[in-house]
Amino acid sequence: MRWKTVSGIFGLVVAVLILGATVFRALEQPHETAQKLAILEEKLSFLVEHPCVNATELEDLVKQVVLAIRAGVNPSGNPSNQTSLWDLSSSFFFAGTVITTIGFGNISPHTEGGRIFCIIYALLGIPLFGFLLAGVGDQLGTIFGKGITRVEKMIVKWNVSQTKIRVISTVVFILFGCLLFVSLPAAIFQYIEGWSTLESLYFVVITLSTIGFGDFVAGGSEIEYQEYYKPMVWFWILVGLAYFAAVLSMIGDWFRVISKKTKEEVGEFRAHAAEWTANVSAEFNATRRRLSVDVYDRFQRAASFKRKLSSEMGGPGGGPLDMSPVSPGKRTLSVSLGGDEYEGGGPHQPPLSLARNGSLFLNGLSPDYVHRRDIPIIEHLK
Amino acid sequence: MSPLIRTCVLVAGIVIFYIAYLLLGALVFSYIEGPVEETLRTDLTSLKQQFLNQSCINASQLDVFLERVLKANKYGVSVLRNGSGHSNWDLASSLFFANTLVTTVGYGHTTPLSDVGKAFSIIYALLGVPFTMMVLAACVHRLMHVLTYGPLKVLQDHAGLQPRLASTVHFGLLLILVVLSFFAVPALVFSTIEGNWSFLDGFYFCFISLCTIGLGDFVPAEQPRQEYRALYKIAVMVYLFVGLMVMFLVLRTFHRLADVHGLTAFFHLPSYDDLAEDREPIVEKAEKEDTRETTKPLDPSSQVSYNSFGR
Repeated sequence: MRWKTVSGIFGLVVAVLILGATVFRALEQPHETAQKLAILEEKLSFLVEHPCVNATELEDLVKQVVLAIRAGVNPSGNPSNQTSLWDLSSSFFFAGTVITTIGFGNISPHTEGGRIFCIIYALLGIPLFGFLLAGVGDQLGTIFGKGITRVEKMIVKWNVSQTKIRVISTVVFILFGCLLFVSLPAAIFQYIEGWSTLESLYFVVITLSTIGFGDFVAGGSEIEYQEYYKPMVWFWILVGLAYFAAVLSMIGDWFRVISKKTKEEVGEFRAHAAEWTANVSAEFNATRRRLSVDVYDRFQRAASFKRKLSSEMGGPGGGPLDMSPVSPGKRTLSVSLGGDEYEGGGPHQPPLSLARNGSLFLNGLSPDYVHRRDIPIIEHLK
Repeated sequence: MSPLIRTCVLVAGIVIFYIAYLLLGALVFSYIEGPVEETLRTDLTSLKQQFLNQSCINASQLDVFLERVLKANKYGVSVLRNGSGHSNWDLASSLFFANTLVTTVGYGHTTPLSDVGKAFSIIYALLGVPFTMMVLAACVHRLMHVLTYGPLKVLQDHAGLQPRLASTVHFGLLLILVVLSFFAVPALVFSTIEGNWSFLDGFYFCFISLCTIGLGDFVPAEQPRQEYRALYKIAVMVYLFVGLMVMFLVLRTFHRLADVHGLTAFFHLPSYDDLAEDREPIVEKAEKEDTRETTKPLDPSSQVSYNSFGR
């Protein structure tokens, strides 16, 4: 069973991935084709405009330029007034992206020594950052918890239920955190970096979830930044990561609660179904037994009546007598099987003589039981 | 010292140590990479100068052209050789992209260009990342029984080692096995398939990907003339997913090891058992519930209500 569940979940993940892939393809491929055509056009028009340049030379140059850009050297503009990608503050930023596992990639080491050092550095730094994140998250949680308890004390005076308080506190946490760690920084980035609202939001989410594509990097453009900008960004990443980790684990908990609740509900449903089935079959069996008892009882009464009559009148039992056994039986049936109205039909029959064992319960006409839907006790028969 | 103050001091200490660590890294990177960058810069300037000397274009026109080319290149659109080459958004590549998104690796060699794509990425990531983490945790929980608890038992019962020694030995063996099969061998494979990757490049790629850093300077299956590209990409995806699982496993085993050696208690961190209980996947609990349900009696005669007088 457990492997089935795990493979089921795995299948679900694969399905989700495929779904995401098809959506991305549908959204992005047209854009990409348009870009491709545009740049090709650009290249052709450039070559046409400047006939002394041949295509291969141009391609060589472009290749070199692309490689240089990857190494962080920008060939356009005047090379003298460009800042290095590996000055202290940028290296600090790079080291930060490695340790937090964000890994933007707009800067990356190109020497063998740099790469080997990067591996060793990450091996030691990532667990260290993990500890730090745990600590910061803890502090955040404590600060927030204190605030929440104060708010909860206020709300308790209004006699709100415990679950509502929990829900309210979760919502407040998410909203407040969003404001502080997502909306505010997004607005700042929009202003300083010149991105659109969506791009800033996109950058914030991609960074704080440690995905870190690198197509947008705060502090990575050619703008003149203030001295405190990059350290502030780094600090925001640290605290924002703790917040995001908390939010993501909360979403994960919701998934688990939902799946747990679904399992519970399925379990409850199964229990109910079992109970209902048990009910129905019990009723059915009881009715069957009572019916057979009734039939037997009827025969007995008929037989004893006949004997009585034959002994009194010395003749065979008459027609009208045949009717009487039927109607009490019928009435018994109709009374016990679900409360159809008492179809007495004719006048009340006088209470027939009781069955041999003297139990009142077997006589469906006994007035106490006429209007009740209960199944009469049959244990006494045994 | 009260425990609260102690934890605060610890956190402060870790923060200071962390800053120092970052500074150290910055210094070393700067020292190693700076000179190389300088050389590249001068090379490129001379190349550009050479190009300008022998042609009829002026510097500003070339700059404009190059900027456009580079902008396109940032999004994975190449201008070389008539732009022939695979699309970055065919099904296999999109799948690869979605995978890098939810595992938080995020190479960045292809990124969504359209606004709708960006918005969708946000939502997809917000839901997909915790979901993936949950799946990984569930799988790792299973694997732990096979790869950690089982061998540990064998080591302790049959080889008669003490718990501390057994867990250390086991961790060492596990580490060697993981490094060989998830770093060394794939690095060899990658360096063979990708023409211009050395063994170190392959190893560097494996490490950067499995730690979910994902710088994106090396991405497999992006060569212009790659055979079986789709299959290759999917194979890399599977490797990344399994590798991530194994990394989690190693991390958990290490956590347990630290527990046994008393390190976690020293640093006031939650012990392995606390975390394991919290994160125990639902599937375990469901089994116990199921077995309890099936033993519930269902036949009517055992139901008390039908035998009772009191109605």
